Amino acid sequence: MKKRWPGFLLILILLLLWEFASANKMIDPITFPRVSVIFSSWMKAVVGSGELTRQLMPSMGRIFMGFGLAALIAVPLGLLMGTIPMVYRLLEPITEFIRPIPSSAYIPVAILFLGIGNEMKIFVIFLACMFPILLNTYGGVRAVDPVLIDTGRTFGLSRVKVLWQIILPAALPNILTGMRISLGIALIVAVVAEMITGNSGIGYFILDMQRIFRVPEMFAGIFTLGLLGFLINFIFLRVEGYFLRWRGTSVET
Amino acid sequence: MTATNEVQSAPIIEVRNAAKRFAVNGQSLTVFDGISCSIPQGAFLSIVGPSGCGKSTLLKLISGLEAPSGGEILFNGKKVTGPADGMIYVFQQYTKSIFPWRTVIQNIEFGLNSHKKGLSRTEREDLCRHYVKLVGLEGYENYFPYQLSGGMQQRVVIARALICEPSVLLMDEPFSAVDALTRAILQELILNIWRTIPVTILFVTHDVEEAVFLSSRIISLTKSPAKIHEDVAIDLAYPRDQITTRAEPRFHALRQRLFASIFLQEKGVAP
Repeated sequence: MKKRWPGFLLILILLLLWEFASANKMIDPITFPRVSVIFSSWMKAVVGSGELTRQLMPSMGRIFMGFGLAALIAVPLGLLMGTIPMVYRLLEPITEFIRPIPSSAYIPVAILFLGIGNEMKIFVIFLACMFPILLNTYGGVRAVDPVLIDTGRTFGLSRVKVLWQIILPAALPNILTGMRISLGIALIVAVVAEMITGNSGIGYFILDMQRIFRVPEMFAGIFTLGLLGFLINFIFLRVEGYFLRWRGTSVET
Repeated sequence: MTATNEVQSAPIIEVRNAAKRFAVNGQSLTVFDGISCSIPQGAFLSIVGPSGCGKSTLLKLISGLEAPSGGEILFNGKKVTGPADGMIYVFQQYTKSIFPWRTVIQNIEFGLNSHKKGLSRTEREDLCRHYVKLVGLEGYENYFPYQLSGGMQQRVVIARALICEPSVLLMDEPFSAVDALTRAILQELILNIWRTIPVTILFVTHDVEEAVFLSSRIISLTKSPAKIHEDVAIDLAYPRDQITTRAEPRFHALRQRLFASIFLQEKGVAP
């Protein structure tokens, strides 16, 4: 953390500039309230009334459900696609066709058959998370050095054991990269889905505050999203660092 | 014959009329056609020959990792149809063969994977520690491969192969990617191991001097399509060591003779 202080300092300076500009009406204080006002309404919404905290929970629940389901399905599917040419040839075209469609475009369809409730949001997040994990998993599997696989064969390992003991750990860096990308996308899709339909979640909260003109609370919601994304990424990097400690890229202490 | 491990009974490996062809750009390329030899149990046999002559391919066929296009390989009298239990292939690219996500001791333990299933946790640990010691890696048990030098990684790979007590070790230019001094040390290490445990070693190398120093017998191949050019018994006494063995006139005579035969082929002059 020591070497990152200049970056945090810049954030602080920008926030102070904002505060100053808003207080002196250099920017419209109604659209851009003072940072101190945003902060106090953030404190109220998080610690005081808890209305923001209450909205954060359903969002997090959806993100982790959708992401978890995607990981649970995409990793085994990617392993199969990477190891069995027939499965790859069968699924690769359809994957390449669905992948470029922005996941928010599914929302209207998902509403048709899942309604506007939680299931629809989880489904859309799940779909959005699938492809980065799937692509990175089979990409990683296909890039495993044949010497590693032959090493398993010369030691008499069965195909299942080769998959489990050699291919999976060798492809793990790619799999984790796919998961990290997916987590970022999950946050975006969750907010979009909550803004389009729904009565809970941080996305709903931001849009609702804008509609009833509680601008400081709206900004508090947006800042909370930034903080949440940062926190998720930070925790994931820690997890990744632990599982990939054998790569020796972490800083020596 | 000098004191070697060779047993003059049934051969452990027999290569009968082995052929290997690859399809290259739609054309069939014959690496070799009709190679036959038999390898007695306990031998330290090196295969030398000009570059690209198919030494490594022959070793791959024997291991069962690749199938011959013709002929057959027998291991203990049984036809080899796939990676056979009891034969371990040690790859030239040890950096690609070692498991980077496993520590030294975990890499070695991998060798126990499909063998000796009945061992208890402590028996496995004791066995792993024994082999760590055998290849001189005490104190490095919990290091990851990226923290080791090339020579140490190669030791890990050798220990991983030895722990499942193979009757045949197939080594494909195992020391070609380490520095000269490390190579000399690893050569003595593998010789000592071969003399203490009952294992037959097939060793592919392009380095004639290395082959003479290590082997009880050397087969030299001709340029592609390869045939067996010479089959030479190396009558240097064991135990051998880097200083005295390499100083013997007989060592030089053998080295010179084999080197000349390969070098002239490489240059395209008929031997």
